[in-house]
Amino acid sequence: MRKFFSFFINYNTYLLFVVYCSIALLFMKLQNDDFVTKLRNSGMEFTALMSEKLGSYSYLLNLQKENDRLMQVNTDLLSRVLSLETAATDERNRQKILADTTINASKFTLARVVERRFSDRENMLVIDAGWRNGIKKDMTVLTPEGLVGRVTSVTEHYARVMPLIHPDFKVSVVSDKSNSMGILSWNGGREFIAHVEHVPISSHLALNEQMVTSDFSTFSIRGVPVGRVVSIKPDKLFYTVEVRLAVDFSSLSQVLVAPLKAEPEKVEISSDNSTGEPFF
Amino acid sequence: MLGIVPLVQEFGLSRLSLFGVSPDAITIYLAFIALIAGQRSSTSFGFASGIIIGILSGNIGLNMLVRTIEGFIAGYFHIPDSSHSTTKQKTRRIYGAVVMAGFCGNAVFAIGYNPLALSPLYRIAVLGVLESFLTLILAVILNWLFLRKSLAD
Repeated sequence: MRKFFSFFINYNTYLLFVVYCSIALLFMKLQNDDFVTKLRNSGMEFTALMSEKLGSYSYLLNLQKENDRLMQVNTDLLSRVLSLETAATDERNRQKILADTTINASKFTLARVVERRFSDRENMLVIDAGWRNGIKKDMTVLTPEGLVGRVTSVTEHYARVMPLIHPDFKVSVVSDKSNSMGILSWNGGREFIAHVEHVPISSHLALNEQMVTSDFSTFSIRGVPVGRVVSIKPDKLFYTVEVRLAVDFSSLSQVLVAPLKAEPEKVEISSDNSTGEPFF
Repeated sequence: MLGIVPLVQEFGLSRLSLFGVSPDAITIYLAFIALIAGQRSSTSFGFASGIIIGILSGNIGLNMLVRTIEGFIAGYFHIPDSSHSTTKQKTRRIYGAVVMAGFCGNAVFAIGYNPLALSPLYRIAVLGVLESFLTLILAVILNWLFLRKSLAD
């Protein structure tokens, strides 16, 4: 007993270190637990609030630059509207087919990016819209230029967004001309280049084709631009495709959040593999 | 100080990033605690600051682990009061603690979480060294401005 106490007294720093490390490892193991999630969300709410306050000063200082950028966006949108109006007459007959119930622009939520982290320790965005504004987990975040990411957690006033340029982010895409499909992901490196996997060697994908989100995606609405094909290299079965992303993540300040794509049956049937057959 | 330093790190220094890494005030704080109060205190302070920074950044467990390890390693640079060391010797010890604790903490973080899909070797060898260097520069500045006086007492 005496030996035990003397051991405890002599090595108490090491024991303390082991206890602390064990608690830390326990927290890592239980990171999706309700208590830890609540703790994380309250921390995120506080961080976002502080960042918003701090960011508002630099926001005011950069208004001139922001105005110029918005003017450029307006010009681009105006040219798009003009070309669409010209095509509207031809399209009227096909309107019923093109009408998509999953896209309802009036339900989009406008939000401001209040926190942006792109470092070796964090890679995320925080927007100033939370569940009070109707934001839910897995909603698509986009800009008029293209896809930004998906909502990963929501608090009352803020939401955390996993950007497209995150190694865990994947989305089903399709090319606008050749209809080639694949899975878009970002594997590190340059922040404006992503890769499209599983594009069969038999497809007719060409350079400069625009990639948009496909209907196969379980979270994203279809037709959101993602980027343009800049490189195609053939492999044994599939092409290795590089896409230049449409969104400039370095100057992201305003985003839109699309309504949740409610397809529980599709998710259910996609995850059901009871037959043992491969599912694509 | 325990409440202020993580806030300064999270809302101030983490925004001064160079190649995706930034200087770390918490490591300097732990090195200072280790020097004056010993390994047990620096380990406990590391654990506590890890909780705060973890809640703020959203990665609680890993931050707790990293900061505890940093505090523990910094503790090896403790100088007992009875040693009658000079200010220069204490300063050297702080710099040593900052570099060693910072580098090891960064290595553990690199193994635990990789949000930019960088090679672990690159993160540990290049970014780890760069972060330790930036933290050392900050430690030199802080020493010149504030710590020197405390260490001389």
